[in-house]
Amino acid sequence: MTKTTIPVHLDINGHRHDLALEPRVTLLDALRDRLGLTGTKKGCDHGQCGACTVHVDGERVLACLTLAAQVEGRAVTTIEGLAREGETHPVQAAFLEHDAFQCGYCTPGQIMSAVACIREGHAGSDDEIREYMAGNLCRCGAYPHIVAAVRQAALEAAS
Amino acid sequence: MRDFSYVRAASIDAARQAAALPGAKLLAGGTTLIDLAKCGVAQPDSLVDITHLKGLDRIQVDERGATIGALARMGHVADHAGIKSQFPAVSEALWQAASAQIRNMATIGGNLMQRTRCPYFRDPANFPACNKREPGSGCSAIGGVTRGHAVLGTSEACIAMYPGDLAAALIAFDAMIHLGERRTSVDEFFLAPGATPDREHAIEPGEMITAIEIPSSAAARRSTYLKIRDRQSYEFAAASAAVGIEFEADGRTIRDLRVALGGVATRPWRARAVEDALKGKVLEPEAVRAASLLAVEGAVDHGANRYKIELAPRVVARAILKLGETP
Amino acid sequence: MTVHIKSHGDASDGVLAEAVGGRLSRVDGPAKITGAARYAVEQQLDGLVHAVLVDSTIAAGKVRAIDTARAEAAPGVLKVLTPDTIIGLRTASDWFGTPPPDKPYCPLARDITFSGQHVAAVVAETFEQAVAAAALVEVSYDETPAIVDLSDGKAGDGMPVDAMTKEWGDAPAAFAAAPVRICAAYNTPREYQAPMEPHGLIARWEGDRLTVWEPSQWLDGMARTYAEWFSVPFENVRLVSPYIGGGFGSKALALSHGAVAAYAARMLSRPVKLVLTRPQTFTGYGGRAATRQTVTIGAGLDGVIQSIVHRGVNETSIDGMWVEPLGSVTAIMYATQNFSSRQNVVRVNSVVPGAMRAPGENPSAFGIECAIDELAYEIGIDPLEIRLRNYAEQDPHAKKAWSTRQLREAFATGAERFGWARRTPEPRSMRDGNQLIGWGVAAGTYPVRRAHGEAIVRILADGSVEVESSSIDMGQGTYTILAQTAAETLGVPADTVVVKLGDSRFPRAGVTGGSRLAGVMTGAVYKAATSALDQLVGLAISDPRSPFHALQANTLVVANGRIASPRGDGPDVSIAELLSGIGLDRIEAIGDTMPANATAEDRYKNYTTISMALPHTEGDYSRHSWCAHFIEVRVDEDFGTVRVSRVVSALDSGRLYNPKLAESQWKGGIIMGIGQALLEEGIVDRRHGRIVNDNLADYLVPTNADIPDIEVISVGIPDLHSSVLGGKGVGELAIVGVAPAIANAVFHATGKRIRDLPITLEKLI
Repeated sequence: MTKTTIPVHLDINGHRHDLALEPRVTLLDALRDRLGLTGTKKGCDHGQCGACTVHVDGERVLACLTLAAQVEGRAVTTIEGLAREGETHPVQAAFLEHDAFQCGYCTPGQIMSAVACIREGHAGSDDEIREYMAGNLCRCGAYPHIVAAVRQAALEAAS
Repeated sequence: MRDFSYVRAASIDAARQAAALPGAKLLAGGTTLIDLAKCGVAQPDSLVDITHLKGLDRIQVDERGATIGALARMGHVADHAGIKSQFPAVSEALWQAASAQIRNMATIGGNLMQRTRCPYFRDPANFPACNKREPGSGCSAIGGVTRGHAVLGTSEACIAMYPGDLAAALIAFDAMIHLGERRTSVDEFFLAPGATPDREHAIEPGEMITAIEIPSSAAARRSTYLKIRDRQSYEFAAASAAVGIEFEADGRTIRDLRVALGGVATRPWRARAVEDALKGKVLEPEAVRAASLLAVEGAVDHGANRYKIELAPRVVARAILKLGETP
Repeated sequence: MTVHIKSHGDASDGVLAEAVGGRLSRVDGPAKITGAARYAVEQQLDGLVHAVLVDSTIAAGKVRAIDTARAEAAPGVLKVLTPDTIIGLRTASDWFGTPPPDKPYCPLARDITFSGQHVAAVVAETFEQAVAAAALVEVSYDETPAIVDLSDGKAGDGMPVDAMTKEWGDAPAAFAAAPVRICAAYNTPREYQAPMEPHGLIARWEGDRLTVWEPSQWLDGMARTYAEWFSVPFENVRLVSPYIGGGFGSKALALSHGAVAAYAARMLSRPVKLVLTRPQTFTGYGGRAATRQTVTIGAGLDGVIQSIVHRGVNETSIDGMWVEPLGSVTAIMYATQNFSSRQNVVRVNSVVPGAMRAPGENPSAFGIECAIDELAYEIGIDPLEIRLRNYAEQDPHAKKAWSTRQLREAFATGAERFGWARRTPEPRSMRDGNQLIGWGVAAGTYPVRRAHGEAIVRILADGSVEVESSSIDMGQGTYTILAQTAAETLGVPADTVVVKLGDSRFPRAGVTGGSRLAGVMTGAVYKAATSALDQLVGLAISDPRSPFHALQANTLVVANGRIASPRGDGPDVSIAELLSGIGLDRIEAIGDTMPANATAEDRYKNYTTISMALPHTEGDYSRHSWCAHFIEVRVDEDFGTVRVSRVVSALDSGRLYNPKLAESQWKGGIIMGIGQALLEEGIVDRRHGRIVNDNLADYLVPTNADIPDIEVISVGIPDLHSSVLGGKGVGELAIVGVAPAIANAVFHATGKRIRDLPITLEKLI
């Protein structure tokens, strides 16, 4: 039984990263401490806040409760990989327009969550958005503006 | 986290063998295990990752019932059209659990293995006494902050609440758990703490949940999961009820009734006394409210959790009455 | 230059987005939505190592021994710090600048006064190694009985805080003589700021120079503390805090974990990163102190208050002092001839409590704004009407005119938008199925705290503009409003202005707290920009190489980055062209709001202590922001669950520098107030003297699903007694009065008066 580092190959935002990690290293710490991808935030490290939300194979998950080794062979998208060819994602643009953040620390997680929320089809009404965005805490209290931003982006995506 | 080794299981059999070794744990969604490892509660020597096994995430619904692979994720099951139509209480229990992100990670098998949220259990550094963690060390919760603790199924050794939502719906509809070849009912699977709160599940080393099976029933088709909590979302239940109902042809007389509780007991809690009291009766608010009080027969409070004894029957009654209104 | 001020606080109508008062989107927004914004502890430094703290598991007693052997032997461990290994630090002065006792300082404790006190720290090559090794440090204790909270029998009545006493008239006699008398006790629990970004830092030494990357509401104050701890000159400490992931009062002071990290960094000659775990954010520094208040009101049958007697208590720590001023709103909200407010503090085994959004005013308003609601029901008049009958036309305590007080307008506007007139007065008179509906109102206020700041404005060769200040932006919008201020003052497009904040090398600023920063810093930037503009225009007129030289003009107009004669004759050139023509690569000016005769020592004290803050009642006026909240709740009659379904708040923050951002802050305050009213409470295990819900799953803050749409309306007018550009305070104001408005709505819905926060379901079941 080896307890030293193991090779881990990660596909982050379409780029391959070859790392040597202890198995206990979470995806979150691999992103922030090893790869310098600090857009994904650490708020609680226990799945209680949503600040570390990323996409794995297109679905929103929490990087703090995911081991880096677990996502080898899967496509990871972080906030840094959301924009396409320099164009901000419509959800990002809507967040800016609606002032859907203040301190900005929960924001990458909110945006990653919102992109998935719309893709899942859970942005059909304001109440549905509130419920399906409830896993992303915002202590500055930007919630009404987050709802407005997600609503707008969902309408844009539908049209 | 303590250091551990990591292996990806190549097959179900390989997973079972690897997980049978001392200090080994199966790793699925990780939402309980990684969390508890960070808390210092789980201290595995090795993790056996089963999330890459093929074929264990299927969701099949037909006239006989639903079969859900152990690696199907909570969010997918919640959104599955067949589950929503044939087992609304299951879908509702799932989408009201945790957050969308956690539901995308957590598997159905892992959900059944979810541990308690007792704050004393989760903090070994500050609260060394916990019979669930260390048999014989005592219970820090008794005499402590008990607002979230169980009122049903408790023992002198442990009052930790079982926090899951799904299992309440499963126990209400007589779901079976597949442990490979072996089948066991949800009722048998979850153990009350008694003198051995460290033993939570009737599962042996080398066994692994492979699927759950929920038989079809008219009550399951007309069912709901009502979850009451302080916060509107992303919180465990203060009290919840999974309820299913079937009426006679007159549309008023109760032919079949299923009632199970969440958020109030040390394990998923079927309230058969409520079912028995109302079966054969006409659905009528006063009778429902009176019968619902039977849901907490034998409840014992520890001070701050007394409200659960008041609350749970009201949740049951509301859920039954709601089903009566909505055909 | 003249300042163009619109007559109304929300100056957005007809104002360009980028002018002061316009709705410019956050200029730091693009960095925040793309993940490019790098917060303090996200710096990637070569050789960085990781520190993890070990905390006390008892609330009172002594550390008997610390066994570090297993931890030291663990993989990757570089050092285990204990109280015995930290030598040579000196005690720092407090935030008033009080000279400290001449004694050593040890950020790791031998004498334990609260659970969660730092007793050791492990430094290792990786975060994972440090975490694992910290669990191997074995600490043994000699435990003594703890005073767990205000209700502990050992706590006693505490000590009177004479500075909190406010008395006029003969309140007890007037109360005894009043025809209507009410008396009630109101309690608020420990509450926590819970910013999404945990506290932490990276410390790096180069010789005797220390750089600290740390989220900070006060770079210069924290730099002073580090300098004093380590006995290095103030100038040798650089604090860097480009973005702050929420503070709410909790990130203003250097804390013991910072000393541990900086000490370890010096000892190891490596940069050290230390971030508190989420549980440590509940024990490593103070949240809002638990409070108790008794409010007695004597009134006439017409509802006119004749006397208020108020007694308050807040908890503090065993060896620290925190006073939560509980009589602050009580003394000024309503007119009364007779008033008495006194306050005690009680020592308990807790970390010293600290500032949390509107410290003092927040719990104070919960007392008086519930009490007046109770009085309204007692007499049988509308809760809004009773507030108007007791409207204070001047500051009842300071006996001075209000600088501005648009509270009457707030009541009127809020009531109209909310539809208050349709309210049925009886409790339990409005329902929707199983849901009891209640409408409540309460007012809030926060003083205009004023201090001084300085900024540099630099016009560069390409015509772009740089603004630098050591002030910070934790989401209030400092980057944006300072860009707007510089742009408007200079006459350049806002997108050509780059604002740099969060580095103590920049011109200095005092604490970002008490809603003072916007007023201070817009003033400083306005002055610096005015000075830079005067230089620019002066050179354009006088420099022989300037195309305007021949015009012999008295002045020139700068607009949209171009310079021209006001008459429109003569040349029209860009700033870049002018600078190039006269051979300058930059024009820069420092502006500040300090008195002209301020000495260097005055400046140092102003920026590194709070001792130079100006009283809000200085001179002829009493300066405050005001608001009125109208809130609808739905209470499930079976379950006791309370959900806020509608909020309309009208607020007077004076002139708004950017209404878009101010509205966000107001809503944020209201949302935190909803959490305070319904969810938030630090729950202490009385046997262990420890908060058990020390995490975000058990200490509940509102989720998106708990929050309805919220309407905020600005009713402010520019208040030039309060700030250079006419703004008052924004950030703290809106939380004040939310909890009482909800408690009042819950009473209206249910007929149950809940006087202990939070209003959880078991209190209504």
